[in-house]
Amino acid sequence: MKKAGIIVLCLTLILGFQSMALAKTLKIGTLSPLTGPYAQDGTDILQGVKTAVAVYGALKGYDKVEVVPGDSACDGGKATMAANKLINSGVNVIIGAYCSSATEPAQIPIMDAGIVQITPASTNERLTAKGYKYFFRMPPRDDVQAWSTVQFLEKKLKAKTIALIDDKQTYTAGLTANIEKFAKEKNIVKVIAHEYITPGDSDFTAVLTKLKRINPDVIYMSVYQPEGSKMIQQARKLDMSSTFLSEDAVFHPKFLEVAGKNAEGVYLTFAKAPETPERDEFVQTYMKMWNAKAVGSYAYYAYDAGMMALAAIEKASTADADKLQQTIRDNTWTGVSGDISFDEHGDRKIAHIVWLVKDNKFVPFWDPITGKDL
Amino acid sequence: MDLSSFLLQQIINAVFLGSIYSLIALGYTMVYGIIELINFAHGELFTAGAFIGVIVLTALQQMGFVETHFVLTMIIVFVMSMSYVAVLGVAVEHVAYKPLRTSSRLSALLSALGMSIFLSNGMMLSQGVSDRAYPQVFGIEGIEFMGARITNGQIFIIILAVALMVGLQLFVHRTRLGKAMRATAQNKTMARILGIDIDQTIRITFMIGPALGAAAGVMVGLHYGAVRFDMGFIFMIKAFAAAILGGIGSIPGAMLGGLIIGTIEVMWAAFLPSAWKDVTTFTVLIMVLYFKPSGLLGEGTTEVRV
Amino acid sequence: MIQKELKKLVVYGAFLVIILTPMLGFRSTTFEPGRVLKILGIFMTILVLNIVVKFIRSQKKDDGRKKTPWTEVVRKRINRYPKVYTLGGLLALAFAFPMFADNYMIDVGITCLIYVCLGLGLNIVVGLCGLLDLGYIAFYAVGAYTYSLLNLTFGLSFWAALPLGIVLGMVVGCIIGYPTLKMRGDYLAIVTLGFGEIVRLVLNNWDSLTAGPNGLFGMKRPALYYPSFGEDGFTWVTYYLKSLPSLYYFILLIAILTIIGVRRLDNSRIGRAWIAIREDEVAAELSGVPTTWIKLLAYALGAGFASVAGAFFAAKLSYTNPNFFLFMESCIVLCIVVLGGVGSIPGIVVAAFVLIAAPEVFRGLENFRMLAFGGIMTTMMILKPEGLIPASRRRRELRADQEPPPKD
Repeated sequence: MKKAGIIVLCLTLILGFQSMALAKTLKIGTLSPLTGPYAQDGTDILQGVKTAVAVYGALKGYDKVEVVPGDSACDGGKATMAANKLINSGVNVIIGAYCSSATEPAQIPIMDAGIVQITPASTNERLTAKGYKYFFRMPPRDDVQAWSTVQFLEKKLKAKTIALIDDKQTYTAGLTANIEKFAKEKNIVKVIAHEYITPGDSDFTAVLTKLKRINPDVIYMSVYQPEGSKMIQQARKLDMSSTFLSEDAVFHPKFLEVAGKNAEGVYLTFAKAPETPERDEFVQTYMKMWNAKAVGSYAYYAYDAGMMALAAIEKASTADADKLQQTIRDNTWTGVSGDISFDEHGDRKIAHIVWLVKDNKFVPFWDPITGKDL
Repeated sequence: MDLSSFLLQQIINAVFLGSIYSLIALGYTMVYGIIELINFAHGELFTAGAFIGVIVLTALQQMGFVETHFVLTMIIVFVMSMSYVAVLGVAVEHVAYKPLRTSSRLSALLSALGMSIFLSNGMMLSQGVSDRAYPQVFGIEGIEFMGARITNGQIFIIILAVALMVGLQLFVHRTRLGKAMRATAQNKTMARILGIDIDQTIRITFMIGPALGAAAGVMVGLHYGAVRFDMGFIFMIKAFAAAILGGIGSIPGAMLGGLIIGTIEVMWAAFLPSAWKDVTTFTVLIMVLYFKPSGLLGEGTTEVRV
Repeated sequence: MIQKELKKLVVYGAFLVIILTPMLGFRSTTFEPGRVLKILGIFMTILVLNIVVKFIRSQKKDDGRKKTPWTEVVRKRINRYPKVYTLGGLLALAFAFPMFADNYMIDVGITCLIYVCLGLGLNIVVGLCGLLDLGYIAFYAVGAYTYSLLNLTFGLSFWAALPLGIVLGMVVGCIIGYPTLKMRGDYLAIVTLGFGEIVRLVLNNWDSLTAGPNGLFGMKRPALYYPSFGEDGFTWVTYYLKSLPSLYYFILLIAILTIIGVRRLDNSRIGRAWIAIREDEVAAELSGVPTTWIKLLAYALGAGFASVAGAFFAAKLSYTNPNFFLFMESCIVLCIVVLGGVGSIPGIVVAAFVLIAAPEVFRGLENFRMLAFGGIMTTMMILKPEGLIPASRRRRELRADQEPPPKD
């Protein structure tokens, strides 16, 4: 027993020293909720980054690229701890976090340590408004999404009235607040009701019946996927005539799976899916690598963030944060979520398009920037 | 939609939600009546029932059984799920509550809370963190009258819930076991002297209560379309409020309490700011406990310290 | 005996098969027997080992020697040295910690110390007074939000906001405590749970004051002021505690003060009154303890300690969000108190470090953390309800009367 232990110890030591002595490793840290209610999206992000590392292959100047996972648990305290852990393990780039409420506190130690951080999911406006030069964001901001939504309501649906439902979480409430602001500014679409539900709840009939009575042209569901898929079923069961519109947190294969044919005709704002061979290849690789039936929504951004970081390091031929952020800023990168270029705040120049659920599939429907059907 | 049909629709919503709360509340009230312990794990037993329901139903659907034998399918699903949870309930009682029957209340309560956390995370690890979709066997077809709408599934669920509650009431009042249960609830020592097997009675209570919860779980899955490992928590709190409101330990009280909590929730959201809906439920719970701790139909429990 | 145990094994095995097979086997639509067998194997091994241990013990029983449990052995070893040395050694270790630890370890240390404060505060309510509180995290939230709001709207410094936060926390504690005074243990649990949720929901819904789910951002860190004699004479220089080590020392100081405070309270007249209430409220009342006031005081003081921890938490992150104060957090704090030993200060300190630091150390077990929490809580209650390091007074009580507590 004892002998075996000593042998194992020796072996690990030898192997450990070997890898330390020989390899020059680049470390990419990820920060996403691997436990708790958002663990699904968090795992998607981690897998996306790992796929990127596997697909990118050999990186010039480095022998090995390693992914160091960190669990932000969608909680501020845990996120800073995880961020500090990543910083200590000497990561060169951090990809994360998921919840804006975890990204915001985790930003502070990461920016102080001078590490480039790319978030694949957090969309709160405040994150890039602080003037951090190492912070980049892959998805469009909340207000950009809200702007696209209002454009769609005015130009395409020609809606007069809209009712908002949100579940009072950082992300969902931020979206509805922005929509209300834009709608008021333009004064074409009128917000006639704003209702709230409890996250984790199952029954939304009371609120939906209330809206059925007011009968707005459009009902905007600013919720996450679990609530969204239950809500749309109940709306159909109540035989509501309003059009349903939702956002990217509902845009998930699970939504189609749970809501089934009740999801038909729901509009959602989500990122463009350019039909490039790279994207198909990524989907194939991802599904094979992780034995998954579908690719989670945030895996695309995470993959792009990983690929871009690696490409930028190769181009700058250094992992030094100052040079790296300059390289990222100065260039335009191609990715599976479209071309990637950043403005001076670190926000990506991108806007969502509107998707429609048709035959239990998400199909691209309308582009708010060009104002054309897709 | 005019006011009358709006009201009618909201009443339908409230009765539907309320009957589910009632079924879950029955489990609390029965257990509390017999061993004076809040079974914190009840919400998780309810979720487990919903999971078994989705597993069985999906399997049957793949075999193409649902289209051909609809009624039989429903019977199989409910019976399987309820019997599974009955076994689980007995196991939980044996592991977590039985050794603590004579110790302080705090220990028993903490043990129950621990069990609840354990079960819910066990389900998370075994069944995954995201939703599991229920096969939609009912669809959205329904009856419309006076501008209000009720789906076939809802009618089925309400009828089943009422049938289960009536069955329980008959069981408790007409059968020998039921009488033994009531006797045990009233006075354990006396019941033991009269030759009632207390352990047996408690075990049966822990089968029936969670089984009703499991039935509610399957109903929730069938109607709302998905189950997740943590959905028990919200239902647990609401059902617990219902049990207390009705008078904990009283079976008709739990039924009434469930309906009232459902109505309060729906009507608050229907007429007042919906963001404060849950605050209201909790406030009602606290007010009831403060002003009438014995609940609406409860027998005036004395303030005995154990 | 063996036969009886084997029969038990078969019954338990059957139960486990029934319970585990559907839950583990049908994660997707197809049946995967591998997962079931793996977990079933683990459980069965535990059961078999249990029987083996029991068997060996029953063989050895004839020795007639009573073995002292290892906790006692450890205690005796430690007690051999004067207390000053042990405490001094621990203190020195705590102070030296940031010098050899990296940022991550310090951050974990800070979190542990925050939970030490919370655990000690809850200990007053649960451990000393015997009132089960499932909404304790609400006071933590009150502390965090009071400091955040005072700092953001009025620019009050941490030191000025802290007493206000404590007072507000105590007031909320009394508001929550007052209606529960008449209630029994389990009703109390539910009411406090309800209050905890109400506080969180109010913070989440009151957009105009608390910014709702957006959270508050940009609070200043706690500052130190020291005089400086520069060219333009005497000035006060403000030094913000920004680095992790300085924050660590700060929370260490708070934790030490909390420990001293709780210890003094424990040994005071009030502490004895709390314990009297815990043991028998009616008898306490008859012996002249003003139970109403003493119980309210327990709530208020417990809330006060939590709001200090909350204010520090908000200042450290310089961000707060209602979602940080979920019911699960209350459970974790409660678990610390229970695991450490209800009423035991060293126990709670150890338990806080075990529960908060252990999952950080064993990162791979992160997913099993809450599962273990639940399991530990139930197991502790069944096997060792007095906790890891039982409170000395409690131990003496348990020794004094060996007869089991009265039934019913």
